[in-house]
Amino acid sequence: MLPIDVAAHGSRWRRRHPAEKAALGFGLTVCAVSLPPWPGAVLVTVAALAVLLGPAGVAPRQLWRAWRLPLGFCVTGAVPLLFQVGGPDGWPALAPEGPAHAGRLLLRTSAASLGLLLFAFTTPVSDVLPRLVRAGVPAPVVDVALVMYRIGFLLLDAVARIRQAQAARLGLTSRAAAWRSVAGLGATAFVRAFDRAARLQTGLAGRGYDGTLRVLVPDARVDRRFLAATAALLAAVVALTLVLERSL
Amino acid sequence: MHIAEGFLPREHAVAWTLAAAPFVVHGVRALTREVRANPESTLLLGASGAFTFVLSALKIPSVTGSCSHPTGTGLGAILFRPPIMAVLGTITLLFQALLLAHGGLTTLGANVFSMAVVGPWAGYGTYRLLRRSGVPLMVAVFFGAFVADLSTYCVTSVQLALAFPDPASGLTGALVKFGGIFAVTQVPLAVSEGLLTVLVMRLLRQSSKGELARLGVLPAADATKGAVVR
Repeated sequence: MLPIDVAAHGSRWRRRHPAEKAALGFGLTVCAVSLPPWPGAVLVTVAALAVLLGPAGVAPRQLWRAWRLPLGFCVTGAVPLLFQVGGPDGWPALAPEGPAHAGRLLLRTSAASLGLLLFAFTTPVSDVLPRLVRAGVPAPVVDVALVMYRIGFLLLDAVARIRQAQAARLGLTSRAAAWRSVAGLGATAFVRAFDRAARLQTGLAGRGYDGTLRVLVPDARVDRRFLAATAALLAAVVALTLVLERSL
Repeated sequence: MHIAEGFLPREHAVAWTLAAAPFVVHGVRALTREVRANPESTLLLGASGAFTFVLSALKIPSVTGSCSHPTGTGLGAILFRPPIMAVLGTITLLFQALLLAHGGLTTLGANVFSMAVVGPWAGYGTYRLLRRSGVPLMVAVFFGAFVADLSTYCVTSVQLALAFPDPASGLTGALVKFGGIFAVTQVPLAVSEGLLTVLVMRLLRQSSKGELARLGVLPAADATKGAVVR
């Protein structure tokens, strides 16, 4: 399994209804994208970090490992904003508003990423998928997603083991060998995926498979107090942003 | 390259979601019809999606000396057709956002539009056009994957340029900036992905003729030629 999903399965909030965590996590993300980056995104960052490291109990190191990925993409993506093309000072030149623009973008993106991570670190995908049918997603699409989720981990494990074996057999020592190895890896993943599907089908056929994958969904009720606290937190972030924006 | 969570302004995020929605809905209808007609295809489609997810996690050697990830959209579209890829690509992008922190939910629409809609359609269109012109399979596969990869990044450049116009020269300047960066990094990667896809397809033709025939990539008669080796 992947580290974020492992953390989600062992989360303190695992038994909470996914709708509660979606309201909190995605609510913070929407605030980050909708409010002015200064001070809105800063307040969202503070609120999200406080929830993640406090009540949600996410380990700081795990959070940093996951957060640094989107942060890296943001920094790379913000670099072009520092320059302008075809201005009076030549081509290209430093944009006068570039650093401020890039800074605002970094604030917004880092805050929005934390909202998403809050949901991801507390809610396993396997808890979300079966509930999507009730949200109106057609059952066949959810079933395909469930199979993808389950076979995906097996394939990732297989690919990691095959890559290790290729490296042990000097399959990555030269550029040509690396190309051969990665092509073999892709082809093997395809063959294994279809082989797994065929075996799964045989197994399910023996158990009366009628085209619907029935899975047990952990019983959880929506906690109104949690939703009220979420609404209060989001309202406080919005109100504080508007007040600070006027006074700053 | 996925556009990260929160990177696009709110209006752009909504607009790209609306632009991607009809293609995803069309794909969902095609997938639902397929599954209702053949219930066992759920597992095959799931396996196909899992393969796409894993393919996007493979590291390919880049011409510039570093490593990168294939988009997998070209191979996916050739194997599974663009409407199905719109759904499988959307689920893959959702998993990547939730499990790997790559991409995001507010930028899901933009990422779906570039990677699960434009890339597969452009790649598949190129592949079909070349095949109908009598071009050999592997050449068509190379250009299908090359165009799928490159068109994905061209659309991403346009998305970023629209969101962040250049202060001096507007949209044109922004396109030059983002397109220039992508041209340096992505043209070699698109060539790499094309080559990798050809190598994968060659191996699949040796080992999985039956599956390729069932997916319509090879004529049904080819599946019976030679033994299937696993």
